Amino acid sequence: MGSQMTEMLKGTLQGVVLAALAARPAYGYEITAQLRAQGFTDLVEGTVYALLVRVEQRGLVDVEKVPSEKGPPRKVYSLNDAGRTQLEEFWTSWTFLSERIDTLRDIDTSREGDG
Amino acid sequence: MAAKWIEALTGSLEQKKQYKQSKARLDALPEPYRSTANGLHRYLMYYGGYIYGDTIVQMFGDLADLWERAALDSTPVSDLVGEDPVEFAETFARAYTGTQWLDKERTRLLRTFDAATGNPR
Repeated sequence: MGSQMTEMLKGTLQGVVLAALAARPAYGYEITAQLRAQGFTDLVEGTVYALLVRVEQRGLVDVEKVPSEKGPPRKVYSLNDAGRTQLEEFWTSWTFLSERIDTLRDIDTSREGDG
Repeated sequence: MAAKWIEALTGSLEQKKQYKQSKARLDALPEPYRSTANGLHRYLMYYGGYIYGDTIVQMFGDLADLWERAALDSTPVSDLVGEDPVEFAETFARAYTGTQWLDKERTRLLRTFDAATGNPR
């Protein structure tokens, strides 16, 4: 992922992770693997982990410790009501932002067409 | 009673114990996890700037969880952290909501602006 993509993703990654958790509860590695399979190929486990710490600190997810076959228990995250509200706000902001940016692109490409 | 006043001087003994436990977990990791985790531990102590022990204890407990899991799964450190360890460390530290020593200065800056512009927020 280029640095521009990395920078843009920073602001949206919380929404992306909340959206992934809205589908079903998951632990950190599962979310990373799922997002990587969906095209976020340069996303690393630590970044998703830090994001999960962040949403846990802000009370947007519920956490359950599930014993694992080896090593420490895995923390399984599920979206709670506060998280769902946050996700709805994210989609509202995203719709606004993408519409405005698409408008700018239309202006830009039509200007190119004139030239 | 005695324990209470000792802790008033030294901070929570329970937190010190938990802190030492997470540090021991990092030291017990195989390489390259041990070196990288301890490198992050050192940087986070400087960068985090959290005042209260509970945030620090939780941050290092989480760090130990992540690195232990990665060592067990043999996840390459680059898949864990990405290309920039500094970026990773700072993102990780900012995930916590604890009070930082800088908060006092942030409040001071806001007060300075409010007083100078007559616009209390």
